[in-house]
Amino acid sequence: MSTLQVILIALFCYLGAIGSIVGNTIGWYCLGRPLVASFVVGLIMGDVSTAMVVGIPLQIAYLANVTPGGAVAWDLSYATYIGTAMALALKGTVGDNAALIGLAFAGAGVGGVVGGTMWNVHYALDVFINRWANKVAESGDCKKMWMPNIIGGQCIGFLCRFVPAVIVLSAIRAAGAANGISIPGWFTTGISAFGSMMAALGMGIILAFLVKKPVHWAIFLAGFVLATYFGMSTMAVAVIAVLVAVIYYAILEKKEVA
Amino acid sequence: MATKTVSEKTLKNSFKQWFFWNGCSQQAETMLGMAFGQSMAPVIDELYDTKEEKAEGLKRHITLFNTESQVGSVCNGIAIGMEEQLANGVGTAEAIQDAKVALIGPTSAIGDSLWVATIIPLLLTICLSIAQGLTTAPWVGALLYMLVYPLGTYLLSWRLFKLGYKAGLEGVQRFMMSGQLDKIMNAITVLGLIVVGALTANFVTCSLNIDIKTATQVFDEASKSYVDGTISVFNLDNLLNSVFPKIVPLGLTLFVYNLYAKKNWSPLAIMGIILLLAAVLTAIGFIPGIGAFV
Repeated sequence: MSTLQVILIALFCYLGAIGSIVGNTIGWYCLGRPLVASFVVGLIMGDVSTAMVVGIPLQIAYLANVTPGGAVAWDLSYATYIGTAMALALKGTVGDNAALIGLAFAGAGVGGVVGGTMWNVHYALDVFINRWANKVAESGDCKKMWMPNIIGGQCIGFLCRFVPAVIVLSAIRAAGAANGISIPGWFTTGISAFGSMMAALGMGIILAFLVKKPVHWAIFLAGFVLATYFGMSTMAVAVIAVLVAVIYYAILEKKEVA
Repeated sequence: MATKTVSEKTLKNSFKQWFFWNGCSQQAETMLGMAFGQSMAPVIDELYDTKEEKAEGLKRHITLFNTESQVGSVCNGIAIGMEEQLANGVGTAEAIQDAKVALIGPTSAIGDSLWVATIIPLLLTICLSIAQGLTTAPWVGALLYMLVYPLGTYLLSWRLFKLGYKAGLEGVQRFMMSGQLDKIMNAITVLGLIVVGALTANFVTCSLNIDIKTATQVFDEASKSYVDGTISVFNLDNLLNSVFPKIVPLGLTLFVYNLYAKKNWSPLAIMGIILLLAAVLTAIGFIPGIGAFV
């Protein structure tokens, strides 16, 4: 990794975090998703195809990253930018794709914890800007109301995101320069088992949002057995699900009239 | 005195400030309060004349406010509509505060469960399938998501913002009460549940790694002769899968659901448990005699 690459990846790490300057729709919910993040890292490091090899399993593991009420325990943006960067930087030291994915998950683990901690620091420090906002409001100066939110929030946000990312990425770069690290086979096996089990976390959390009555379990299982017994791809089941939802809606509408 | 109205230009300006900068200064004291104030500032500026009125207006919008901000733009629209009425002498400042507080719960719930927990995973799944399908150019899936999601959300968010402004608090509440929203939510819940079922089946993997083998002579295709080898006599994963395919991943998912929804575990703690389980199951796989990896 060159210095420019470290800075660019750290910059995107910040842009993909909650509350960056581009907004959560473009940032956290788009640049911060592993599918997109791995593509961006691939572009920066000049190796998109390898980046996507690790990006797809990362995206599957973190498919349902819901942050109710701003409770961020795990910073997805940090996890995936650092994870993908680590896999690409140390690519030469590992043999196959499985080991590469293992590396990405190990990097994502470190990144996620650092990012989660920094989010909490950011969240705590932001409280102090409230005084500034109160002062501006008190003066009735509408033209200045953006300053506490953007200048205040972004100074803290940028420092909390960009600086730690540069430090972590520099450490990875140093490891890459020192001819990498050797990863034992059992570690790769274990970490890829963890990665594919992690998808259950996302599914469990989505279910907590969706299931409201017992019959919902039957609907969930219907989707499950369509994939297992009938061997259908997720896309195929999604198409059926759309049709079922439309019919279900039509039945609900009809009930109203009757 | 002429009636005061908020111009289209100010509406757009207010929406943009919210859409891009709603999360800039999130904190525990007022949550999205400062961002809400920023989005209301151009409106207050246009509606009121004196410094004192403007100060009062700004102060009531930097107080505690929270929502899922993409769907929650409807709250901004409602608040602007109410400010406009207040500037014309209808309603009270307290009513605006009450309306904002009342909207926090329902808009967060709808935004989190509908948009964040259903639409985003659904769209990601579609883009993932495309990425997996196009082995030579998997990045197309990523690019598609980068275009569709922000654009679609921007349009939805702007429409909700306008809806809030035009229909007002009563209109939006009437819509929420009419049962129409419930029906849409119910239909989308069905959609989400079926897709999550398929996702669980196709993407969650978990093996118990117990495979008891016995040493015997096996036929080697390459040398066309019998050589020393092992055959499996008891493979727990295969046995369970023949009873109900992928029952172990399903069990793991339900276990996570139980910890999260019923026992109120944090996602980070659940992640720790999964890491521990992965370590134990991998270790089992390496135990001589019963493990699947030896």
